[in-house]
Amino acid sequence: MGGPGSSSPCASCKLLRRRCAKDCIFAPYFPPDDPHKFAIVHKVFGASNVSKMLQELPVHQRADAVNSLVFEANARVRDPVYGCVGAISYLQNQVSQLQMQLAVAQAEILCIQMQHEQPLQSHHQVLELDQDEKALLLNNNSINNCNNDNNNLGYAMSSGQFNSNFASPSSIMQMQMQMQDPLKQESLWT
Amino acid sequence: MNPKRCAACRYLRRRCPKDCVFSPYFPPNNPEKFACVHRIYGAGNVSKMLQQLPVQTRAEAVESLCFEATCRIEDPVYGCVGMISLLQTQIQKTKNLLARTQAEITVAQIKHSQNQHSEFM
Repeated sequence: MGGPGSSSPCASCKLLRRRCAKDCIFAPYFPPDDPHKFAIVHKVFGASNVSKMLQELPVHQRADAVNSLVFEANARVRDPVYGCVGAISYLQNQVSQLQMQLAVAQAEILCIQMQHEQPLQSHHQVLELDQDEKALLLNNNSINNCNNDNNNLGYAMSSGQFNSNFASPSSIMQMQMQMQDPLKQESLWT
Repeated sequence: MNPKRCAACRYLRRRCPKDCVFSPYFPPNNPEKFACVHRIYGAGNVSKMLQQLPVQTRAEAVESLCFEATCRIEDPVYGCVGMISLLQTQIQKTKNLLARTQAEITVAQIKHSQNQHSEFM
């Protein structure tokens, strides 16, 4: 705001109708050409809370923090009851299903290996898991249900697939520690 | 002061009315719950969000807000979005491993049936 030669205010200062200072904490992350980005974060978290959060972070981490706040705010607006937690619950279920399928497949490999180690046994002793046994183990779940994870995140959030007995953040954080190389993928923001 | 004020009204140092929007979900015996949510979202925003929801969904909404707020406090940069990223990575890795294992099964089955066929010959 101001005279000729001055840059336009950032999206936050525009929305808050105030002068955009040179050291405005929001300006690097909320450009004026994307007013929706700040609007949604302000709606869910409030400008002063966002400002406090950013001030407590080193500068090089603020862009990621803003992006994650925007993601959470969008999730909360899309699903006012469960927000991001609906997506977490959905993904945890997928992980469980896939791990079960993997266990079944690995058991089948073991069976086949055992067959190879005992070649003189009767050929009628087939140790492979038949369809009924597989279905029993998998409860009719199939890998086809696990495709298109990202598209289904939106569905999960709006349909409220949520197990209210979810683990505490600390125990889920422990799960993170057990995962290989926690990766903050840039693709998450696309 | 009314000892039966909910945790929110205690925290905000105000009277707790009979129709307080917070009181069913922030009992006085758990002050940290409200403190955590207030720190991230602010009491005003939480109140607005709850008022816009049907009563039967508010308990779940509060629990999810608490969860996300706790995640954000523990990880101020990524919050619960970091968890989503990790889960997506784990899903992809497990899918890859499953595909590899299923391919091994197919190869092993083919070899096995070829061996059986050659034994019959």
